[in-house]
Amino acid sequence: MSNWHISRRTALKGLGTALGLPLLDSMLPGTAFSPFARSVQAAEAARAAPTRAAFLYVPNGMHMADWTPTKVGPGFDLPPILQHLAPLQNDMLVLTGLAQDGGRAHGDGGGDHARAMASFLTGTHPKKTHGADIKAGVSADQVAAEKVGRLTRFPSLELGCDAGAQTGNCDTGYSCAYSHNAAWKTESQPVAKEVNPRLVFERLFSDGPPGETQEAKARRNRYRLSVLDFVAEDASSLKKRLGANDQRKLDEYLTTVRELERRIARSERPAEEGPAKITKPSGIPDDYAEHIRIMYDLLALAFQADMTRIATFVHANEGSNRSYAFIGVSDGHHDLSHHAGDQEKQAKISKINQFHASHLAYFLKKLKDTPDGDGSLLDHAMIAYGSAIGDGNRHNHDDLPILLAGRGGGTIAPGRHIRYERETPLNNLWLSMLDRLGAHTDRLGDGNGTLAELAD
Amino acid sequence: MTYRLSAVVVAVFLAGHVVADQARAARDKSDTAFREQVKPFLAKYCADCHGGAEPESKLALDRFPDLAAADAQRDAWPKIRKYLQSRIMPPKDAAQPTAAELKAVIGWIDLHFSGVDCSLRRDPGRVTIRRLNRAEYNNTIRDLVGVDFHPADDFPVDDVGYGFDNIGDVLSMPPILLEKYLAAADQIVDKAIYVHAPDKTPKQTFLAGKVQHQGGAEGAGGWQFPSNGELFTEVELPARGQYVLRGRASASQAGNELAKMAFKFDDKQVHVAEVAAEWGSAELYETKLTVNKGKHRFGLAFVNDFYDPQNPDPKRRDRNLAIEYLEVQGPLDGPPPEMPESHKKILYCQPTKGHERECAEKIISRFASRAFRRPATSDEVGRLVKFVDLAAANGESFERGIQLAVEAVLVSPKFLFRVEDDSKPDEKSSNTDGIHEINEYELAARLSYFLWSSMPDDELFHDAYLGRLRKNLRKHVGRMLKDPKSRAFVDNFVTQWLEIRKLKQLAPDPMRFPAFNDELREAMLEETRLFFGAIVDEDRSVLDLIDADFTFLNERLAKHYGIRDVTGPEFRRVHLNDPDRGGVLTQASVLTITSNPTRTSPVKRGKWILEQLLDMPPPPPPPNAGDLKDDGKVDASVSLRQRMEQHRANPLCASCHAPMDPLGFGLENFDAIGAWRDREGAIAVDASGTLPDGASFKGPRELKAVLKQRKDDFVRCLAAKMLTYALGRGLEPYDQCAVDDIAVGLAKHDYKFSALIHGIVASDPFQKRRGK
Repeated sequence: MSNWHISRRTALKGLGTALGLPLLDSMLPGTAFSPFARSVQAAEAARAAPTRAAFLYVPNGMHMADWTPTKVGPGFDLPPILQHLAPLQNDMLVLTGLAQDGGRAHGDGGGDHARAMASFLTGTHPKKTHGADIKAGVSADQVAAEKVGRLTRFPSLELGCDAGAQTGNCDTGYSCAYSHNAAWKTESQPVAKEVNPRLVFERLFSDGPPGETQEAKARRNRYRLSVLDFVAEDASSLKKRLGANDQRKLDEYLTTVRELERRIARSERPAEEGPAKITKPSGIPDDYAEHIRIMYDLLALAFQADMTRIATFVHANEGSNRSYAFIGVSDGHHDLSHHAGDQEKQAKISKINQFHASHLAYFLKKLKDTPDGDGSLLDHAMIAYGSAIGDGNRHNHDDLPILLAGRGGGTIAPGRHIRYERETPLNNLWLSMLDRLGAHTDRLGDGNGTLAELAD
Repeated sequence: MTYRLSAVVVAVFLAGHVVADQARAARDKSDTAFREQVKPFLAKYCADCHGGAEPESKLALDRFPDLAAADAQRDAWPKIRKYLQSRIMPPKDAAQPTAAELKAVIGWIDLHFSGVDCSLRRDPGRVTIRRLNRAEYNNTIRDLVGVDFHPADDFPVDDVGYGFDNIGDVLSMPPILLEKYLAAADQIVDKAIYVHAPDKTPKQTFLAGKVQHQGGAEGAGGWQFPSNGELFTEVELPARGQYVLRGRASASQAGNELAKMAFKFDDKQVHVAEVAAEWGSAELYETKLTVNKGKHRFGLAFVNDFYDPQNPDPKRRDRNLAIEYLEVQGPLDGPPPEMPESHKKILYCQPTKGHERECAEKIISRFASRAFRRPATSDEVGRLVKFVDLAAANGESFERGIQLAVEAVLVSPKFLFRVEDDSKPDEKSSNTDGIHEINEYELAARLSYFLWSSMPDDELFHDAYLGRLRKNLRKHVGRMLKDPKSRAFVDNFVTQWLEIRKLKQLAPDPMRFPAFNDELREAMLEETRLFFGAIVDEDRSVLDLIDADFTFLNERLAKHYGIRDVTGPEFRRVHLNDPDRGGVLTQASVLTITSNPTRTSPVKRGKWILEQLLDMPPPPPPPNAGDLKDDGKVDASVSLRQRMEQHRANPLCASCHAPMDPLGFGLENFDAIGAWRDREGAIAVDASGTLPDGASFKGPRELKAVLKQRKDDFVRCLAAKMLTYALGRGLEPYDQCAVDDIAVGLAKHDYKFSALIHGIVASDPFQKRRGK
């Protein structure tokens, strides 16, 4: 943890910049330090600064009384949870009234937390099972990754702060896969998230041993492709001899092999040099706040260097019973969310919500301060933030706390509070975002259209 | 041909008829039993409460006019069966059915809903290929390659199903995992197999400040020479050969030549480098030299000091040199002093010119067979040997080729998944479902992953090869349980069954429980691990898990428990004089994971007992169920118990909480981190409880006595959980027969732990497999 700080300072000193992390021109693809290279870069960027999208999840709903502005339109009021975002008020939309119907019981009884996470980006009603046959739907981020992911080294990033469950089924008869995963590649294949900042860093930047020559790297990649060829053949021949469930597992395996092959092929491009002067984080910080910050730092970096355009970040698994003793709330978050109208408990929940929102503000500010093409990263981004549970006590899946920051490359006019008609599918927001990413799809879960008012 | 085909068709047709007839007959029989036995039973013993407009627990048992109606409520019956069998229902104060009546109804439920008749041919089930989970991967790499460095610790956490993280159906393959497998394989071969590469030969590095000096002084960038001077040190070289000498330096410049750094070896000047690196941005300068083994003197000297104070450019007035460190690497051309053990084990034959291929085949055949847990086919070996050719084609060594082949094996699905092959399900048997004994290699892998969370060892492979593993099964099981590798069973089965893995993530409120820290957390886990370990090692009764007069403590945990005379950080066996402590229920690990961060939770503790010890999970709470008000401002004269009793006054809550809360209350003398307490705040703890069946108790010791009376439920629960873990799949209704057998076997052998393991290993689901 402290290493990270030191290295960050060292990096700053070395490069004479004042950003939180060295979001440096040297890390942009294809740049050298020469003014010429920079001007070429800038011209290119101005022509087509890509749009990025991040989907950020917070668990256990929100204390809605402290979230929802009373005034609609521009110049809306900022209730306590949104206070931290005051400097960014004109860069964000608060979207009220959206619903995620897939989260509801529909006869399946308890398990709202599992359903909330699994439906958040999929808009589907996950199948109640704690074993073999998990089934939700493809998530919005993965639709985008499939369509525009090929343009960047990583089709998408999946980040989080909580590892998966260690024991037990997670929410009354629902597999832990549901309450832990926002990103779903297929309806039965959640995309595991990376929770260790060191590993995120290594994945993004440490491609091979330091000082490896281009030739050695090319050879290593050739070998890797041969290994992948070999194992793909193994999987195909094995598949023919096995039963249906086994085949499904091998299909998952084969898909990932193909994907990795593509990634290795892409990394042949010489422009993928890592940031020479950043030292990697040493692991998962003990301090949760620090953990969230580093994850946001890394995400901002990945966006800026255009290593990916699509990301999900799960602040804590759905139903998380994390204690927030460091902000004076030592009760478990989930225990608290069953507040039964108790005002003291609600105040504590609000405090947790504010804590998370303060980190969102940190992230958005970072994006706003980072030049990108003809504007800032935030100008070219769509950052969706929220939960698929409204009030943690009622476990309602309508009237959700949802916020959308950024201008989506000029396709969004932020600075307003919009109230939608009740039961407007949250998936309509995802469909709207997908259109803006150039990843139009006709169908996504229960989505039945796009949100019209985002642009004006 | 035509004749044969039509014969098959006829046979299938006839078989279809027979099956349909049998089904119809079974249905008729079931219908009769329902009308004559089950329906009257429900009316007589159940419908008073579970009937009418507002049936208890929303379970209406008076609405089954016929079999079809009973079928429509298929989910309710397993629960009914359990409550009847455990004699929780009907409640003690109501009329009780006779043993014969009970048996008839339970028998009907079994036969009708699971279609399970244990006296007939049994379905052993069919497990999906299992990906190695993180623990299994680490252990397998340790035993396969001989490298113990836990590469899987960086893998994503494994998916959990049915309470365990080794369930084939549930373990997924997220894209990031394959990347990790590839990276891990890279690291593993790098550590396990030595490939001669000059840049990997040993280095000796000497910081400039730490060696001897003539002139200069320590400063930014190392040792600074404002005028000529030298750094030198003694180096010991392991063998004669070529070495590279390096110095990392920077310089400020003046005059018409660059700063010069002389390399001196044994007082001879062997090289002079011109140092162009700008002051403060040092670069490496080097030269190569062939020298003898032994001690030498290595020095770097600044040899062309220059001073030009009149120069108009202030940066060109003084030529100085700064050296960061000296380095010697090599020998570049010699063999390494000692090969790693793993290298010798894997490359057990040395290639000779012209016979590389034979040798490669031998090496790869052995490695792949162990990795795939069955003999590798010649086709597999042939494809792998091509990696040796590939390395050669790239101008790289034989060893590099073996590295690549090993890497391919380690990323192959045949290694990463435990495959059980059905391509030839028992051809001799006439059955159409293809039920067959798994082959002995597969059996060896089931055994080793069950008891060791790792691959089979040579003895298992050997007996599988000779086809006598089944014959020697009991001997192997005994041997494996004695092996230290069986610690993995405790680490993986026990910590998941008891859910104490959660302890790693829990954070009890530091204000209320200042005693809790990482040391105590680790001690709690260790107690439970060692306790279970003793049950295994000493082949004790599994009922000791509920209650025992010993445990394992160190000073920290003993203090926490208020037990004296245990000193030092090491754990030891301790006799417990207090009958309230003893058994997993009273261990701090379990007591802590079943508490809230701020207080105990009798509900969570009761639920835990029902789920983990009795296999009777309570139904989930309605979604809008509130929690207790817990603002720390409650009237101090009202105990948690009273508050919960108020909560239970709500009939909606009572039906589920009645069997749950009293169990938890029995443990109220233990606080939220498992320390003993007689009072909660100002109020004396009341640890009494009465269960719906009328059994009442006071305090942990009596609670344990009640649980011991329900040992049949406990034993079946333990058997079912362990069978789930052993098989790597969720249990199906037909597995009930195996669980019954295992439980009966346990009772016959005084509940000894080994009888449980032997029972599981001998069971049909462990030994056999359905073909489709």
